[in-house]
Amino acid sequence: MRITNKMVTASYSRSLNILNRELNKLSEQVTTGRKFAKSSENTAAAISAYQLRRNLKKTDDYMENIMHAKDFLTMTESTLTLVHESVQNAMDRVRAGLNATSSSVERNILAEELETIQEQMLQTLNNNSIGIYCFGGSNTTSKPFEVDANGFLTYNGYTLKDLDPADPADADLIKKLKSDGLTLDLGLGLTVNTGEIDPNSVFTYSIPGIEVMVSGVSDVNGESVPNNLYDLLGAIVKELRKPDGEYDRERLDSLFAKLEDNAGILLNNITNVGAKTSYLDFMTERYEVLNINLKERQVHVESVDTALNIINFENHKVAYQAALRMGTKIIQQSIFDFLQ
Amino acid sequence: MRPTFLSFQTAARALAASQAAMDVAGNNISNANTEGYTRQRIDLNAISSSGYTERYSTSRTFVDAGVEVSRISQIRDPFLDARYRRENAENGKYNTILSGLSDIENILDEASTDGLMNELNNFVSQLQALSREATSQDLALVTRTAAQKVTEILNVYAIRIEEVREQLITDLTSVVINKDFNSIVKNIASLNKQIRAEEIYGNTPNDLYDARNRLLDELSQIANIRVTVTPEKVSADKTIDRLTVSLYDSRTGVSIGLVDNDAYNTLSVNGDKVPLTISMQSSFILENTPDSVDLSDITRYFSSGAIKGYLDLINGNGVYANTAAGESSFRGTLFYTNALDTFAAKFAQVFNDLNDIDPDDTVPGGDDAPLFTSNTPGQPITARTIRVSAQWMEDPSYINTTQTPAETPGKGDNVIRMIDAMNAEHKFYKGDETPENLVFTGSFNQYVVGLIGELSLDVELHKNFSETSDAVLLDLYVKREAISGVNLDEEGINLMTFQKSYSAAARYLTVLDEAVDIIINRMGRVGI
Repeated sequence: MRITNKMVTASYSRSLNILNRELNKLSEQVTTGRKFAKSSENTAAAISAYQLRRNLKKTDDYMENIMHAKDFLTMTESTLTLVHESVQNAMDRVRAGLNATSSSVERNILAEELETIQEQMLQTLNNNSIGIYCFGGSNTTSKPFEVDANGFLTYNGYTLKDLDPADPADADLIKKLKSDGLTLDLGLGLTVNTGEIDPNSVFTYSIPGIEVMVSGVSDVNGESVPNNLYDLLGAIVKELRKPDGEYDRERLDSLFAKLEDNAGILLNNITNVGAKTSYLDFMTERYEVLNINLKERQVHVESVDTALNIINFENHKVAYQAALRMGTKIIQQSIFDFLQ
Repeated sequence: MRPTFLSFQTAARALAASQAAMDVAGNNISNANTEGYTRQRIDLNAISSSGYTERYSTSRTFVDAGVEVSRISQIRDPFLDARYRRENAENGKYNTILSGLSDIENILDEASTDGLMNELNNFVSQLQALSREATSQDLALVTRTAAQKVTEILNVYAIRIEEVREQLITDLTSVVINKDFNSIVKNIASLNKQIRAEEIYGNTPNDLYDARNRLLDELSQIANIRVTVTPEKVSADKTIDRLTVSLYDSRTGVSIGLVDNDAYNTLSVNGDKVPLTISMQSSFILENTPDSVDLSDITRYFSSGAIKGYLDLINGNGVYANTAAGESSFRGTLFYTNALDTFAAKFAQVFNDLNDIDPDDTVPGGDDAPLFTSNTPGQPITARTIRVSAQWMEDPSYINTTQTPAETPGKGDNVIRMIDAMNAEHKFYKGDETPENLVFTGSFNQYVVGLIGELSLDVELHKNFSETSDAVLLDLYVKREAISGVNLDEEGINLMTFQKSYSAAARYLTVLDEAVDIIINRMGRVGI
């Protein structure tokens, strides 16, 4: 094959161009810290990078949701503790009152104290310090607990003592009120089937008020007495306010015993909140680990190993310089240099 | 008897031949680096003096009459030319496609910039925030802003892809077809005319051949051409080459004449049509062109070259193409426009359905509470036209956070449905929702990733094609150069050779001169 100068220079400039391009790519990688500037430079890596970014964003969202739920539960817990303290306070007062006095004047004073505690309890339950009512279930905009015309506690408009679990219609309503709550997507595999959200796929973080101030009545010495603490206190107040002849010490004792019993419900709820909080702690930890793993993978997929890249760059630089050095020699001497 | 001065002519011809050979070498050396120059060679013939017979035999010995320069020819391999031009057409196509796809990639790609995918992710984050406090006006406002960004980026994508398409049409029309293609065929035709005139006179216009070959190389970058040379008898004893250039589509075997002798056909682009078509203004039709070829639309016969690249980019409609009607299934600008439109329409449909919480409404796809609408009422929602609905713009809490606002005002159940909708699988259709129209099944995010993935694979593929074809083209260039290129050593040797033969011829003339001098000046002088 004949070799001409043009052939040599064309091949040379092409090789030089390829080396230069490679060198440019390496220097770009070092300066940007990225393995690829466009997806087409490494499609497979780009696709997994997009997936990783999406997952990272998701875990960030879930962590935000967990933080919110935790704040909410902290508030719920402190509210419940306050209510519990009020009840304790009430019980202490009653206990002291029962032992010391039995005159109607003193009973009236005790009754008034208890009414104040009742009011406090109502206020505490309707706590709205973060702008939403935490015991209203999904009713966050209006006070969940009110007192009806007869002085009985209502929850979301329903008088609690009138809700009878034995009545099928009421049972349904109670079930509905109990299951109504605020939910968040914590990445538990959110599923929606024909518009219905699977309750197991979301996290319910609110405690419905009906779990705290329970519904229905119980039989106390042949008389039906409301189960919830507010109305129980009300019943005690009512008993205390009775004139001397009607006041029945035994009835008061049994009402008090019922109050003591039902105060335990508050502790159950506090325990429940604790369980939810510790589950959230577990989830936080899980997402923190996941986040670190994802970030590591992201670095692996998208970022360059700078040291390795600089070594590569140096290698290519040597090749490029060698090629340049060759360039001064590719046009060899011809016969003209020897003609005389 | 031999004429006394016959040999003077022989010597003179030898001098002239050597002189010419040195001139050719000089010309080759001068043009060693001229692009498109073909190495020339001097064709020398020995002149015979025994070209006649006599009536009576005279047994004499004739010495032939020396050398003659018959012509100066070019050294070229037509087979390599054909291969080079075929590869050049492929190269033109791949390079055009690569540059067009890179333009689209610059718009859609999110490897180092944030785009649609990022806005979708932000939208989900805002929905998550809204689900935490469903009754918050502030969060509803921020969610609306996030949704607005999704619509805006879709608008920007659609506009920019349309701009790329318009730019491609302008390039194809004004640069590739009007400026390059049409002027090249015209120039080839006019060169054909000059060459024909020269050849009839018996000349070999090497510079014109080179010019024509250079133009043919250029033309081969633009379109799939075939060059044919047929002998044409111009007189009883004169035959010259007739050069015909045709657009040759190897798939259908159809060839359409572009240049024949001094006649040429030009192309024009109908840029307003979708898909765009190319038509031909014909001054002649080749004999072998089938009647079925409609010259007002010869778009389909471009199978490679830059024009094919432009056509693919402009008309390529991917899965949206009606291939039965001959539409291009390449993923070009039309495809990306349609793919984004499908996305926008589906996105709007899903969220509008979810926001429509009226239980009495049994009509699916209800637009009773649209979050997204078209900017022209009543028109279909496309990537270009999608926007946040006027109602939502007026009132940020127009987004229904719960399906039962009366009973559960603070519950973010509908927001959670929307979050689910961002993760859930959807079916994307091109047109009516029939199984054969299904183009993609997956989440919104997967749709965008899929789109970018396909695009970047196409870019990668054409980058490879283009690099391979660059290498092949260089190889063919080298092979062509090996035959037609100037080698300085060879020319140096030729120079030496002919310098020596020139000296020898001059010496021969001196010898003759001295011999004649003897006859003229020294004969018959005995005793003087």
